[in-house]
Amino acid sequence: MSQLVAQSIVSGLLLGGVYGLVALGLALSFGVLHVLNVAHGELLMLGGYLAFFAFTNWGLDPFVSLPLVFIVMFGFGVLLYLCLFRFVTRTETHTRIKNSLLVSFGLALVLQALAVRFFTADERTISTAYSSEALTVWSIRIPVVRLAGLVVAVVAALALEWILSRTRFGKALRATSEDWTRAALTGIDVRRVYLIAFAVSAALAATAGSMVSLGYSVSPGIGLGWTLKALIVVVLAGLGSMRGIVVAGVALGLVESLASVWIGGQYREVTALVLFLIVLSFRPLGFFGRARA
Amino acid sequence: MLEVEGLEVAYGDLQVVWGISFQVPRDSIVAILGPNGAGKTTTLLALMGLLPIGAGSVRFGGEDLVGLPTHQMVDRGIVMIPEERAAFQSLTVAENLELGAYTPRARTVYDQTLAEVYEIFPRLAERRKQSAATLSGGERQMLAIGKALMARPRLLILDEPSLGLAPIVVEDIFGVIRRIRDRGVSVLMVEQHVEMALEVADYAYILEMGAIVAQGSGAELEADTRVQEAYLSL
Repeated sequence: MSQLVAQSIVSGLLLGGVYGLVALGLALSFGVLHVLNVAHGELLMLGGYLAFFAFTNWGLDPFVSLPLVFIVMFGFGVLLYLCLFRFVTRTETHTRIKNSLLVSFGLALVLQALAVRFFTADERTISTAYSSEALTVWSIRIPVVRLAGLVVAVVAALALEWILSRTRFGKALRATSEDWTRAALTGIDVRRVYLIAFAVSAALAATAGSMVSLGYSVSPGIGLGWTLKALIVVVLAGLGSMRGIVVAGVALGLVESLASVWIGGQYREVTALVLFLIVLSFRPLGFFGRARA
Repeated sequence: MLEVEGLEVAYGDLQVVWGISFQVPRDSIVAILGPNGAGKTTTLLALMGLLPIGAGSVRFGGEDLVGLPTHQMVDRGIVMIPEERAAFQSLTVAENLELGAYTPRARTVYDQTLAEVYEIFPRLAERRKQSAATLSGGERQMLAIGKALMARPRLLILDEPSLGLAPIVVEDIFGVIRRIRDRGVSVLMVEQHVEMALEVADYAYILEMGAIVAQGSGAELEADTRVQEAYLSL
């Protein structure tokens, strides 16, 4: 195996970890609230800027500011739910997708415009003292700031799985996701479950954003691209396994990388989308998806 | 215990329930019977706060319930078992029962209630690690009732408990409903299966086109010629 191929496999894996991390949040809001938040990528963008300004203005290392970014964007998620998505979740489950598309497209445009106004259109990257450091294994470079993205994704997925399977609130979340009417009849405060699930979804997007501004870069327009990747990952993995989402994210990153080496950089996205179509035609519920009643 | 006065319910412009009144006294089984589309399920959903109430009053133990969110009804001891698949298919039997005791009031006596439920339905104890989706029709209804009991109901509301079950299983389920009443839980149930329901019910109402057309004790309704002609195959 040539050096180039090995190197791009590693880069693909690392980028794929971030895809997985972004998709975790999207899977949560889509799975539990049945809303499709296309402004998910804009929440990532905001998280990225938060981490960037925390670093440049207050000298906070992105790993130190990570819990802070999580909390602030959790709060922003609460606000968005109360002001916007609450009204979408009042409708029947099957009309929520189209209503949420309208609402969140609008939100995405507003957030982008505000970001250009207040943060300028410049591309920003957090450059720490360790930004250029890398592990070298068999002469393949593994940049630590990018490795962090994959590690955070795996930790987040395992934490989510633990919450969903072990805690009372996690079980309430699964119940609400299956059927909100029955969840309410069980005594679960469905609005509260929705509020928390949405806020965690926003906080996860922002967590991914921190990792993006550390290992890659942020600018006001990056949102839609990330939303699309997350959407592809969620559909590939199916709803049902958080671990599966990270695996699908890594797989997508890997395919994109290999496609750009073997077929050509301009075919990277196309190859990923073709793979997406192939998977869907054989596994309509995704690799790890479970049929729902 | 439950007093409903002049209840009106509509889906948008389509009014389905036209000012009905009924009561569920303490420690009794009350049935609302009638054909498909009479507004039985609609009435229950409105009682539980899942459909807006157009007019009328709903009082439980003297407290006005109109406008209360569903989960708070459950916390007050009003627990409804919806039609079919009342348990969560993506959860195990044990997880379903655990969620049944979701409200703080039920949580404090969780262990005790769980032992009682497993005593009433030993089958659920055997299957506790299984996914609810793997249960048979009768076991599903047992789980639905067990899950509702976990919430420590004072009033248990059942929507078509006999639906989709073999007659012999229905007998069992109705037997359990009697036992639940004898433990001091009032029961309100909705049934299409009039003949069997009249056997267990202490009092019944016949609902047609969103209005109550007859009421009385089980025996009175069985003797009523109109009820006999419309619902009982004699």
